[in-house]
Amino acid sequence: MTAIQLTDVRKSFGRTEIIRGVNLTIPKGQRHAIIGPNGAGKTTLFNLISGRFPITSGRIEVNGNDTAGLAPQQINHLGLSRSFQITSIFPRMTVFENIRCGLLWARGHKYSFWRLLGGQRALTEESEQLLERLNLTSRRNVYAGLLSYAEQRSLEIGITIAGGADVILLDEPTAGMSHSETDYAQHLIRTVSEGKTLVMVEHDMGVVFGLADIITVLVYGEVIASDTPANIRGNRAVQQAYLGEEAA
Amino acid sequence: MSTQTAGASAMSAPSFLRRNWLWLFMLALMLVLPWLFYDHDRGRHSGFAITLLSEIALVAVFALSYNMLMGQAGLLSFGHAILFGVGAYFVAHTLNFIKASEVPIPIELMPLVGGIGGLVCGIIAGYVATKQRATAFAMITMGLGELLTAAALMFMTFFGGEGGITTDRVVDTSIFGIPYTRPIQVYYLIVAWAMIAALLMYLQTQTPLGKMANASRDNYERTQFVGYDPRVIRYWQFILSGFFAGIAGGMYCLVYEIVTFDTLAAVRSANALLATYIGGAIGFFGPIMGAVLVVGMQSGVSLHTSAWLLYLGVIFIAMVIYAPGGLLGLFANHIPIARMGRLGELAVPYARVLVPGLIMTAGFILFVELVTHQTIGASQGKKFGILGWKLDPDSPLIWVGAIVAMIGGALWLRHQGRFFMAKWNALMEDAKARGIVA
Repeated sequence: MTAIQLTDVRKSFGRTEIIRGVNLTIPKGQRHAIIGPNGAGKTTLFNLISGRFPITSGRIEVNGNDTAGLAPQQINHLGLSRSFQITSIFPRMTVFENIRCGLLWARGHKYSFWRLLGGQRALTEESEQLLERLNLTSRRNVYAGLLSYAEQRSLEIGITIAGGADVILLDEPTAGMSHSETDYAQHLIRTVSEGKTLVMVEHDMGVVFGLADIITVLVYGEVIASDTPANIRGNRAVQQAYLGEEAA
Repeated sequence: MSTQTAGASAMSAPSFLRRNWLWLFMLALMLVLPWLFYDHDRGRHSGFAITLLSEIALVAVFALSYNMLMGQAGLLSFGHAILFGVGAYFVAHTLNFIKASEVPIPIELMPLVGGIGGLVCGIIAGYVATKQRATAFAMITMGLGELLTAAALMFMTFFGGEGGITTDRVVDTSIFGIPYTRPIQVYYLIVAWAMIAALLMYLQTQTPLGKMANASRDNYERTQFVGYDPRVIRYWQFILSGFFAGIAGGMYCLVYEIVTFDTLAAVRSANALLATYIGGAIGFFGPIMGAVLVVGMQSGVSLHTSAWLLYLGVIFIAMVIYAPGGLLGLFANHIPIARMGRLGELAVPYARVLVPGLIMTAGFILFVELVTHQTIGASQGKKFGILGWKLDPDSPLIWVGAIVAMIGGALWLRHQGRFFMAKWNALMEDAKARGIVA
C-alpha cells in the first residue's frame, strides 16, 4: 500500500517552475527523508502534499485518494498531518490546550458547542499522556508563546502527531536545536512515528541517516536520487550536487 | 484539572462557593443594587437607577457577545449592532403581535425571541462576513452595518422608518403573573436573562468550538492542519454571538418599549467595541467591567457635562496605548506581584504617580469644561461651575490655572512615571527569577 504517490508533480510561481516533475512513491510505514540544498523546493513539496498550495500539474495521492482541489483540512481528514519549518503553534493558548486542539477533530468533537471539554476525561488523559511523551508535563499550563524554542519545536511535533494521523510530514523538526535537544528530538520522532509513515525534510545529516529508511535527494525541483541511506552515501550525483560540498 | 473534574459530581458546598464566587457576587450585587437607590420618602425605586442598571446589564450581555468575536476569535467587527437591533425589532413585533392576536406567548421569553432574531441575522450576515477574516472581515461588517441602517429607514413595515416601532410590554402573558408595569419588575427579568446569557457564553468558551475559535485567532492556518475549516469556525462563532447579541436587543426592547434604527447603527456597534476594549478582551469578565464604565459615562457623567463623549474617547485612547489588556489586564498584571506578597511595595510609587496624575486630569477637565462652556454652555445661559463650585469663566486666571495644571501635571507625571516603571520592572524581574511569570 502507498501512503503518498506523486506523479509528475509540477508547481510554478509566476514564470518560475519550483517543482519540475517530481515522481515519488512512499509506501506505508516507511520513514522517508527528503534532503537537498537550500532552495531545492523541499518545503514547497510539503506545501503541495499537505494542500497549502495547489499544484500546477500532475497528481498527488494520499492514502490512495487524489487530493486535487482539496483544502488542507480535507487532506488532514485523509490521515495526513504536518508540522512547519517556522514554528506554527497557538501562542496564546496553554501547552495543554495546544495538544488538545490537535486531538479534537480526530476524536470526533468537530464544531460542537454543547459539549464541555472539562468533562471529556478520555480526551484530557490522552492529551496528558502525549505531554508526558513530549517531556512537557511541567509546562502544561504555560502559554505556548512563552516556551523556549526547543520546547516549541517539541510542541509543534506534538500537535502534529496528536490526532493519530498515519502519514506524518515533519518540516525540519530539529532546525535550530542544540546537540542534546536534537538527540532528544530524534528519539521523540522515532517513537512517535512507530508504525506510521514519516516524511521529513531535514538538514541535520545525523538525524537523516539515523532515522530514514529511504532518502530522496531533491535538487532544483527534481528528484536526482531516491534510495537507501547506504546507496545515497555512495551515489556520485548526490555527492556532487549536495553531500560533496559537505564532505569536502 | 483531571482531579477537579473527577470531583465535580460530588462537589461540596464550600468548593462550589470558592469556584463560583464571582458569579454569585455579580448576581447578589445586581439583586441588591436597586434597593440602595430606593426612595423611602416616596416609597418607590429610583427610575433613573433602575434604567441605568438595566442598561448596564443589557450592554454587558451585548459586549460579552461582541467579545465572542473579538477576544475569542480575533474578529474585529464594526457592525455588531445589527444583531442587537434585529433582536430588538423581533421582540417589538412579537409584543405587538401578542397584543393584537392574543396568542399567549409568555413575556418572560421575549429575550429568547430577541436571541432568535439575532441568530437569524447572524446566519445571514455571518454567511457573508465570515468568508473573510482580519481587515476584510472588519470592512464587511462595517458595510453590513451601514446597509442595514439605511434599510431600516427604507423598509417601513418592519423597521418603522425614523419613528421606529413602538410597543407595550404590558401584554399580560406572564407565567409568574407579574404585570411588568413597574421598571423594577422588568429589571429582575433582565437580571435573570443576563445571568443566563453570560453563563452560557462562559460555558461556550469551554467547548470544542470555543477553543478552536481561540486557535483560529492565534493561528488560523494551523487549525486547517489539525482538521478544521477556519471559515466554519468563524461562521458558527458569529451565529452564536448573534444569538446572544439578540438577547441583549430583546432586553433593550423590554426596557424602552421603542426600537428605532439607531439600535442597528454604528454608534451602538462602537459602544460594544469601547466596552470590550476598555474592560479588556483578554478575559471573559473584561467586557462586563467595560459595560459598567461605558454606561456609567453615558448615563451618569453625561448628566454633568456635555463633553462626556470626549472623556470616553480619551479613556479609550489611553487604554489602547498604555493598557491594551484593558481594566482586566491592569488587574491581571498585578497578580504575580501579589503572589510574591509584595503589592505593598507599590503603594509609594502609586502615590507618587497619583498626585501628578490627578493634577493633570483636573487641569484637563477644567480646560475642556471651560472650552465647552464658551462654545455651548454660555449660549444656553448656563452658569459655569464644577461639582457645584461656581467659577468665573471669563477670568484669565482660571484659564492659566487649567493649562498650567494640565501641562505641569503631565510633565511631573512623566517624571514620576519613570520612578514607577523602575520599581515595577524590578518587581517583574524578581517574579521572573522566581518562576512566577514565564
